[in-house]
Amino acid sequence: MNLIRRMALPGLFWLFVAYLFLPLVVMAAMGFRDSNFVAFPIQSWTTQWYRDVLFDRDILASLWLSAQVAVLSTVISILVGLPVAFLTARTSGLLRGALVALVVLPAFLPVVVSAIALRIFIGRIGLETGMVAIAFGHAVASMPFVVVMVLTRLNSMSLNMTDAARNLGADEVIVLVRIVLPYLSPALLGAFMFCMLLSFEDFVRSFFLGGFEQTFPVLLFSRLRFGFDPGLAAISTIILIATTGFGLYAERFIRSRRLGRDTSISATGNTHD
Amino acid sequence: MTRLLVSLRSFAPYRAMLELYSRSPLLRLCLVAIIPVLWIGATNIAPLAQMVEISFYEQYPVRQGEPIEWTLRHYAAFFERSLYITAFVRSFVFASLATVITLVVVFPVAFYISKVAPKHTSTRLLLLVIAPFWVSEIIRSFAWIVMLANRGAVNSFLSMIGLPGTPFELLYNNISLTIGVVYLTSLYMLLPLYAALEKIDDNLLEAAANLGAPAWQRFTRIVLPLSREGIVAGCTLVFLLVIGLYAMPQLLGGPNNTLFAATIGQIFAKAGDSWPLGSAFSIILTGSALAYVGLFIALFQRRRRGGSA
Repeated sequence: MNLIRRMALPGLFWLFVAYLFLPLVVMAAMGFRDSNFVAFPIQSWTTQWYRDVLFDRDILASLWLSAQVAVLSTVISILVGLPVAFLTARTSGLLRGALVALVVLPAFLPVVVSAIALRIFIGRIGLETGMVAIAFGHAVASMPFVVVMVLTRLNSMSLNMTDAARNLGADEVIVLVRIVLPYLSPALLGAFMFCMLLSFEDFVRSFFLGGFEQTFPVLLFSRLRFGFDPGLAAISTIILIATTGFGLYAERFIRSRRLGRDTSISATGNTHD
Repeated sequence: MTRLLVSLRSFAPYRAMLELYSRSPLLRLCLVAIIPVLWIGATNIAPLAQMVEISFYEQYPVRQGEPIEWTLRHYAAFFERSLYITAFVRSFVFASLATVITLVVVFPVAFYISKVAPKHTSTRLLLLVIAPFWVSEIIRSFAWIVMLANRGAVNSFLSMIGLPGTPFELLYNNISLTIGVVYLTSLYMLLPLYAALEKIDDNLLEAAANLGAPAWQRFTRIVLPLSREGIVAGCTLVFLLVIGLYAMPQLLGGPNNTLFAATIGQIFAKAGDSWPLGSAFSIILTGSALAYVGLFIALFQRRRRGGSA
């Protein structure tokens, strides 16, 4: 009885880990199947699917679009998120509460609704669907996370540093460029990686804001609706490894820069800290 | 860099601007506030406000030279067709169930990582379960298609061990969708739960054990009340995520179990003249979802106050 009790929790934990990883491993294996159909068992193996991916024009084009969107949206959301964080840091009380509520609002809307609202909106301001529109949508979605991450870092900053610089004759621009931004740089880098990943994996906003060209998740979605071959498993596996590697690196980076666990938790949505 | 910025000060206009900036608090506030106010107004408020507006239009876009006709017709349309109400109710039931299932699945995992596992390994264990977080919804859906298809991994395994009746129809129903959705949401539940559980003082549990409280009592009297905040946060996040899901239900769910988010998406995929209808439905979904979550949070907090009195 005691043994069961002691084994139950670790057992559940490793069962959960299996639940997380088994489908991904199975998918990776499927990419090696020497056949045109996704089916088990795998009797003969090939690396052809993994090699073919590198020459698939549509996939490469979609990855290129995804990369452009990721960089553009990240730059926008950091450029906007910084002043929003500065403003939030200056306010207090009810005003601060209202401001924070407005800033995090997009994170609490059903994704479909916020994507569609933006789609109507860009139509009215005359922005075409396509790369810029998608990047705009992603920036809207990721800006709250930039604000939270920058604010966390900003709260730990001592005013002594800026005061000392001012006393020594630094003007506001110098204080910003030489003191504040360098102090914030770990948070900014963390936010940068976080936003890139957020943008790269987004489907719904890219789907509704995209034009003729498709980002990678949208392309994969439309191919999956028509049927699938092991090639899709191969490209999915490659992307999976790349994003997971990048994500783990970002996670470690954020931790090691003493942004602390609180940041990574609030960065994934839990803003009550 | 500093030298450059200092030498910039020899230009009179630049110097004047700096001086003005440091002297006038109002200007400083304006400069700091201008981008945030514009951006929040343009991205967080305007699109929603516009959606509310359009939902009352007779048609959109409004034809040139014609006056705008206001109507409640699109809201009435929701109640007129049982198809819509069914999808709406199904969405809320499904999202609630998925949230509860996620909580039940993830709670032991979070508890194990934060309280039972040796302290020096907990970070590594956490990273292990966080790792798949960055895999996109579409790829995760595909992974489960490969698992659950008629000739997928699970059916292949079941027939290998000689189970009769294979292949089972595992894919394209509510079960496959639930498996996929819990796969997607578990992390949003795990992080708040972990944060809350980790803060619980181990001494409390030890003291209770020494005083003779059995395990279930330590769980219901200490762990559950003290992790309440994490549970509420996790459930809120997961519910809002599931209610807005668009792609995964189409890839893993059954054709006859359309969820309301997909209904809205389909309305918008049609020509532009159906936008007022879709806007009205979006408002209905958002309003009900936020009200539902708000009610849930309010209920939970009131019970806490009642319990501590």
